Amino acid sequence: MKALDRKLLRDLWHMRGQVLAIALVLAAATATFVLSMGVHRSLVETRDAYYARNAFAEVFAGLTRAPGSLVERVKAIPGVRKAEGGIIQYATLDFPGRPEPVRALINSVDENGRTELNKLTLRSGRLPQQGAAGEVVADESFVKANGLTLGSRITALIYGKQQVLTIVGTGLAPNYVYALPPGDILPDDRRFGIFWMGQKALEAATDRTEAINSLSLTLERDARVADVIRQLDALLEPYGGTGAYGREDHLSHAFLDNELVQLSAMTRVIPPVFLLVATFLVYIVLGRMIRTERTQIGLIKAFGYTNAEVGWHYLKFALAIAVVATVLGCVSGVWMGRAMTRIYAEYYRFPFLTYLLDPRVFLAAAGLSFGAAALGSLGGMRAALVLTPAVAMTAPPPPVYRRGLVERLGRRAGFSAVGHMIVRHIARWPGRAAITVFGVGLSVGLLFATTQFLDSSRAMLDGFFFRAQKQDLMVSFIEPRSEAALFALAQIPGVLRVEPSRAIAVRLSHGNRVERGAIESAPPDARLSAHIDIDGTEIELPASGLMLSRQLADKLGVRPGDRVWVEELGGRRSRQALPVARVIEEFVGERAYASEATLLAITRDAAPVGSALLRIDPARRDAILIRLKDMPMVLGVSERETTFARFEDMIDENINTMLAFYISFAGAIAVGVVYNSARILFSERAHELATMRVLGYHRREVATVLLGELALLVVMAVPLGCLLGNGLARVMTAMFSSDLFRLPFAPEPASYGRAVMIVLAATALTALLVVRRVMNLDMVRVLKGRD
Amino acid sequence: MNFHGEDLRKIYRTGETEVHALRGVDLDIEAGEVLVLLGPSGSGKSTLLNILGGLDRPTSGLLTSGELDLTALDDAELTRFRRDRVGFIFQFYNLIPSLTAEENVRLVTDIAESPMDPARALDLVGLAERRDHYPAQLSGGEQQRVAVARAIAKQPGVLLCDEPTGALDSATGVRVLEALEAANRETGATLVIITHNAGIAAMADRVFHFLDGRIARIERNAVRTSPGKMTW
Repeated sequence: MKALDRKLLRDLWHMRGQVLAIALVLAAATATFVLSMGVHRSLVETRDAYYARNAFAEVFAGLTRAPGSLVERVKAIPGVRKAEGGIIQYATLDFPGRPEPVRALINSVDENGRTELNKLTLRSGRLPQQGAAGEVVADESFVKANGLTLGSRITALIYGKQQVLTIVGTGLAPNYVYALPPGDILPDDRRFGIFWMGQKALEAATDRTEAINSLSLTLERDARVADVIRQLDALLEPYGGTGAYGREDHLSHAFLDNELVQLSAMTRVIPPVFLLVATFLVYIVLGRMIRTERTQIGLIKAFGYTNAEVGWHYLKFALAIAVVATVLGCVSGVWMGRAMTRIYAEYYRFPFLTYLLDPRVFLAAAGLSFGAAALGSLGGMRAALVLTPAVAMTAPPPPVYRRGLVERLGRRAGFSAVGHMIVRHIARWPGRAAITVFGVGLSVGLLFATTQFLDSSRAMLDGFFFRAQKQDLMVSFIEPRSEAALFALAQIPGVLRVEPSRAIAVRLSHGNRVERGAIESAPPDARLSAHIDIDGTEIELPASGLMLSRQLADKLGVRPGDRVWVEELGGRRSRQALPVARVIEEFVGERAYASEATLLAITRDAAPVGSALLRIDPARRDAILIRLKDMPMVLGVSERETTFARFEDMIDENINTMLAFYISFAGAIAVGVVYNSARILFSERAHELATMRVLGYHRREVATVLLGELALLVVMAVPLGCLLGNGLARVMTAMFSSDLFRLPFAPEPASYGRAVMIVLAATALTALLVVRRVMNLDMVRVLKGRD
Repeated sequence: MNFHGEDLRKIYRTGETEVHALRGVDLDIEAGEVLVLLGPSGSGKSTLLNILGGLDRPTSGLLTSGELDLTALDDAELTRFRRDRVGFIFQFYNLIPSLTAEENVRLVTDIAESPMDPARALDLVGLAERRDHYPAQLSGGEQQRVAVARAIAKQPGVLLCDEPTGALDSATGVRVLEALEAANRETGATLVIITHNAGIAAMADRVFHFLDGRIARIERNAVRTSPGKMTW
């Protein structure tokens, strides 16, 4: 080994604390990158492989009823590659002893395994046999959550008829990666399952011999989705088509996509923050190292080493840090990625979901950390290169201190000599002080920006569950009902109030932009529902015209005052232009609202009731649920309280993992920055501190000089951190928003406090590590040499 | 301030080697006395000075100053001792570069029991005009006089000087020694000076000659020569 390399190794070992502290920050960058990129790639690749293997369709359509032969006409539409018809039917399951309704969505499946699209993957058991009535394959999670096994029998109410179902297999399909119960916003494995029944058996159970009520299509490579949808809608019109839609409007696909958007937002925001801090740290540490090794550099050059060799020597120091960081970061990133993948596997149903070790992710991560380290070393290398041997071997000029503004103020404020030492040192090295302030500030900011999502979620839940919804139960109907259904519900003892929630399926268009959706409405005297915007304000339905959610308005490119074409899907298929009365900023989805009068004008008939909101006497809850379970028109019942509780559970379950990740990330920055600042401060001031000890200052008084400067910088970092956090949180909130969800920016003041306290604690512990050195300062030895 | 020492020994252990810095020193230093310690490098002068000033402890032996048993003091008490009674002056001044001349003095008066006004201390060493200058703006001699002002400002019982003129030319050195002598005269502080320079011995009441960790010889000057009249 060359002598210079030996020096490098010894330098690294000698400065191991600082090297490790920088590596920690750089490792955090690598880890978040490996984590989010890795999980993102794993999800995308798993999804794509699953979609391809199981032939996930590209266009979907629902209709009331059509002959099976319609499929041939669909195939004839230009651009359609494959088309398949089937039956999808909700059923009510009876679990004795459980008052709450349990629902299943039954899909038809070819008994001979000839299904071409949205293919079922069997996990256990077998497919239903032709002619065997009541045999079903059930989704794995439902079977597990309800303690069922192969051979379990369940009584079901399908299409008004009771039938006993036998579970003969468990399985999964790509159109139900994320499965939501009707009217609900969270999966519920105990109360909602996906079933597959033989085509013939389901036809018989639903009186649809040789008939279908759903269509799935795949397209030719060059086909335009919008064109196919337009032609398909025209074709399905006589059969009660409810509007065809592409993958982006497919619930399961959209939820998965939403998650991917958030993951890639994380990749774009968090690692750059760490990289920036790490670059700065390398810059200050290497800069300091080269100042202290000035004489050595002169000597090495005097021996005849070239500038390139000296530069390479110091660059290698920075790259060695990157090596440590890459290894640490990749290992912990994979570990965290696995933990996160496990969480995903709970909510998304894939036949396999493992964290993929993609060498490209590791290479990119290594590239980033080497790049950041090299960039940080440029300043120090330049300083080493411009030193000529003769200059380098003389003592450096003493630092020049000057009075500034702070000084004059300090004099007035009656600073002690120690006070002057602190502020002048900061003023002497403003760049380094700024990096410390900025670094600690970023640590506070990052911690705040990541943990304030808890507040967002809570604000969203509060708006959604307590202010927008005031009902106890929401009952959704198998198909839209008339007013009579409301009376039937009102008759149940214990039901205190019933309000209808009306909705019609429509196609909205503006210019060449088309969106499929529903216009929802509530009665003018509604007390069980309200429209709450993202800031928590209650919004009234406009007397005339439409109220659109921000996402929908943006997609259509409309503003209040513009007119949009509203085309009713199903019903009378009326088409008319309506003004946009207002745009509402909402949390969930792309939605459109109108008053009941406006809805009536569209349908020219009383708009059907899709669901009903109920307020009930809590004492009669079980009895009411049992009554509802027996009503054939009822498709699903969701209880506000239980949905809310499940949301809380989900947050609680994941919160510790999440908090642990983010606290350790923010901690890495705080520790890395403060440790390096403190070490540099200490080495620069060791001589002065020893002098103070000689003059009769006690250890803790001497430590004040060190801690005082750090504390002052950290105190300056706190407001900066809160500001940075606020900005970062706004950016991340905006990036996390997708078509499905928008998060409100609603941080609690306490979240700033929590971020600040955690960073202060990390800072204090780190500073104490360095203060130990003050305690062990050897006065005699320090004073012997000139500094 | 007086000192009484018996059989003072100091052994430094660095790794496997032992260095006997003091090998049994007996001494009595009277209050107000001017003492010069002469001897080659490594003969134990600095070790003794550090022990007298409470920077270090003897490995064995007895050392008292008035009623105070210096060997029995713990770390905090030694710090207290330095803070209240001892003034140090070093070869390389050890000023704080970020503090002006006056503030360097204030560093001590901020914590001392009954200090003099920092301006007066600077006046005593003839630097009243340069009180607002930073060390980098002062010559070596001026810096050392600031160090003297800093040492005397607390009105110490003893001034301990380790090669105070070692880094200075002779004319400048004389001015520093004059300042030290003035402090001895006006405050009655005991003055102990380490030097390689035999010429300085003339200003002492007594001269201790060190060799191999022991006091080899004590010389008493009948008359103290004032620094202004010394040459080297």
